[in-house]
Amino acid sequence: MTSRNRIPTILAVGGFGLCLLVPLVVHQDYELNVLFRIALFAALGLAWNLVGGYAGQLSLGNAAFFGIGAYSLPVFHRLGAPIVVALVLGMVTAVAAALVIGRVAFRLRGPYFALATIAFAEVLRLSAKNLDKITGGDVGIQVPALFASDPSRWFYWSAVALTAAALATTVLIVRSRFGYALQAVREDEDTTLACGIDAARTKLLAFLISAAFTALGGALYASLFFYIVPDQVLAIEISEKSAIVAMLGGAGTMVGPIVGAVLLETAQELFKNWFQEAHQLIYGVLLVVVVLFLPDGIVGSVTARWRKRSAR
Amino acid sequence: MTKMTAILKVEHVSKRFGGLRAVNDVSFSVQDGEMLFIVGPNGAGKTTLFNLITGFQQPDQGVIEFAGRPLAGTPPHRVARLGIGRTFQIVKPLRNLTVRENVMLGAFLHTRKVAEAADRAREVLEFLQMQAVSEQPANGLPLPTLKRLEIARALATRPKLILLDEVVAGLPTSEALALAALLQRLPEWGVTAVAGVEHVMQVVMKVAHRVVVLDHGALIAEGAPADVVRRPEVIEAYLGAKYKQVTG
Amino acid sequence: MEVKLWSLVQAVLSGLLTGSLYALIGMGMALIFGVMRIVNFAHGAFMMLGMYAAYVLFDRVGVSPYVGFIVSAALLFAVGTGVYQTLLRRVADRSDFMQILLTLGIAQIIIGGVQVVFHGDFLQVNLPLRSINLRLGAQIAINLGDLLAFLITVVLALGMFLVVMKTRFGRALRAIAQNRYAASLMGIDVRRTQAVAFGLGLAAVGMAGGLLLPAFYLYPEVGGQFTLKSFVIVVLGGMGSVEGAAIAGLVLGVIESLTSLYWGNEWALVVDFALFLLVLSVKPTGLFGSQRV
Repeated sequence: MTSRNRIPTILAVGGFGLCLLVPLVVHQDYELNVLFRIALFAALGLAWNLVGGYAGQLSLGNAAFFGIGAYSLPVFHRLGAPIVVALVLGMVTAVAAALVIGRVAFRLRGPYFALATIAFAEVLRLSAKNLDKITGGDVGIQVPALFASDPSRWFYWSAVALTAAALATTVLIVRSRFGYALQAVREDEDTTLACGIDAARTKLLAFLISAAFTALGGALYASLFFYIVPDQVLAIEISEKSAIVAMLGGAGTMVGPIVGAVLLETAQELFKNWFQEAHQLIYGVLLVVVVLFLPDGIVGSVTARWRKRSAR
Repeated sequence: MTKMTAILKVEHVSKRFGGLRAVNDVSFSVQDGEMLFIVGPNGAGKTTLFNLITGFQQPDQGVIEFAGRPLAGTPPHRVARLGIGRTFQIVKPLRNLTVRENVMLGAFLHTRKVAEAADRAREVLEFLQMQAVSEQPANGLPLPTLKRLEIARALATRPKLILLDEVVAGLPTSEALALAALLQRLPEWGVTAVAGVEHVMQVVMKVAHRVVVLDHGALIAEGAPADVVRRPEVIEAYLGAKYKQVTG
Repeated sequence: MEVKLWSLVQAVLSGLLTGSLYALIGMGMALIFGVMRIVNFAHGAFMMLGMYAAYVLFDRVGVSPYVGFIVSAALLFAVGTGVYQTLLRRVADRSDFMQILLTLGIAQIIIGGVQVVFHGDFLQVNLPLRSINLRLGAQIAINLGDLLAFLITVVLALGMFLVVMKTRFGRALRAIAQNRYAASLMGIDVRRTQAVAFGLGLAAVGMAGGLLLPAFYLYPEVGGQFTLKSFVIVVLGGMGSVEGAAIAGLVLGVIESLTSLYWGNEWALVVDFALFLLVLSVKPTGLFGSQRV
């Protein structure tokens, strides 16, 4: 039993080691930024996966937490907080927002939950646009730089670290009592309640963890971009993309979101060079294909087929 | 004598859904260690009664006491923690998890450790003679196995009282009798059982200590199985042709 | 004081005019949800399609959108039934999760497709009708174009209402909405009825798009806000209730207008969502609905 568990761990550690070595080979800012985005959306996908994949709740409002993380950096820094403190405050604020949103949204089932999460994110986006004295509104706000020298490398490394942390958290959760509770909630909430598990609190906790990671991602992104506007960091597209990345790779699997992020970002990069405006079309087609033919995502389908073969 | 050892007391409990009285002024108690069967045709109110006891629904009137403690307003997960386990009439397995993982969910009520929960689950599965399917995903298993899974999951929570809703419904007689034999061994686990059944009278007669009969939400008879079966109001309510099955 | 009263009246009137179009959009969404339990995240994208159809008709053939909306409706009806038969039907039995993701994907395809064909340029239709303002007294002005759209919308909404309530097809729709299985037992061709219902729902939103075109800048993402607004309307009016959606649409139009008057345009959309969340938390079944959330 233990020897079987060591191989994935070795692979994962090795994989991350390799990822960290990449900037020694790749020097161009542009390429490093692409790799940054891959790692970032891997992390965002992993965060979404906790709620959407394991708990089975379709959250489409993660942009709210992304934006909170993004704006916390300039806003708290301007109020005098050192950068690290501003980062932490961003996470704290996002978790607080998740508490509020979760309290309301998790009482709702099915599509109503998804709609509520979208509504919250949109309220935040519009408020950010209107409260321009704090956020700079549509004109934008300047974000303090997290790294003074060699930023592209450091942002890339930070994103990889964030992904590693998100993956490690996922693994720890899935193998724990909390992980069982999450999946039970996804499968059947009544059964879960009958086993003494507080389904609402379980969902909420996953939501809070997801929010924290997403906020950190938002802060990283904001700092890299240096200048942000609400329509950029609070866009519904961010929520959608986090979900798509996880669904494509395999919601409810541990590495699915990473696979999905690699595939999606790579495809987007390739197509962006060939067809300027077609990337949304591709999102759409991918999503439809996944829903109709690959509901378990790539990793999920491969795992299912492997399990069938080894059961013989 | 009865007040001391009553593990569950249901007093004048009623529940309406719109114009329908699903449960109508029902009172009875369950003694520690006994096996009570609640008998009544579909729609008689058994499931609603179970929902009221386990907190999935709240009664409009009446009091439900478990081990001397009123359950008013207690949410279902807390009721489970207090020691009442239940199965559902329409089986609700966790489809994408294995049988063992399903049962572990119940075991987690008393341990944080995954290994311990797995051991506990294995114990329960052995008792229910389900070791063979323990690593199979719950999805696609036949109904008799899923019914046992419901019981296993509930049993893993170490309940003091277990409510079994139609746990033998839809099973072939041989399966039902086998299950009944297992139910008779529940006291080994320190569990008092209340089962809701529609008919399957052989099982009732063989296993029940006491029987309560519901008809259209109201309690119309209570007592030892052999007695109750002879009462005219019970026969009239629904036994009818089934009566022959029991006495013939 | 008198000036404020007239502003109020003006705001309410403008709100009703816009609200009538919201009502139409909402009724389409309510129809789709009521009959198919599908939360159509592509609603706004389809509306945008209707707007582009009306635009092309105006740009190439010179037909006014106040007439061209009929073509938009026909186009969207065809698209709707087609999309239902090829895509939506396959997820009819799957989880809400999957259905939502599917309609999201369809929305992206539509938006992406339009972006490829028309690019992101902001397009506008200039009609002489829209430069005429009817005056009621000195303080109230009503745009002739808006009024025309309102009148057409009222007729369309009434028509839709009549179809749902009075025709055999409408009865079939309501039967399916209540109990799909029972409806099929009664001999109703559930699949075909649902396909037509989806087509009708999209036709409604396409008509609204055509009628809204003269008042809006047109660009591929313009539909997004309308998808969200139609959710607000349907939740307010009670999911699946076509009459509820009609009234809720009008109410929303007025609320937005009043918000713009007192707090400025920017807050109008925020109030939409705040209202949405409020209704969801307090009375999730909506003002007129009776469904379990």
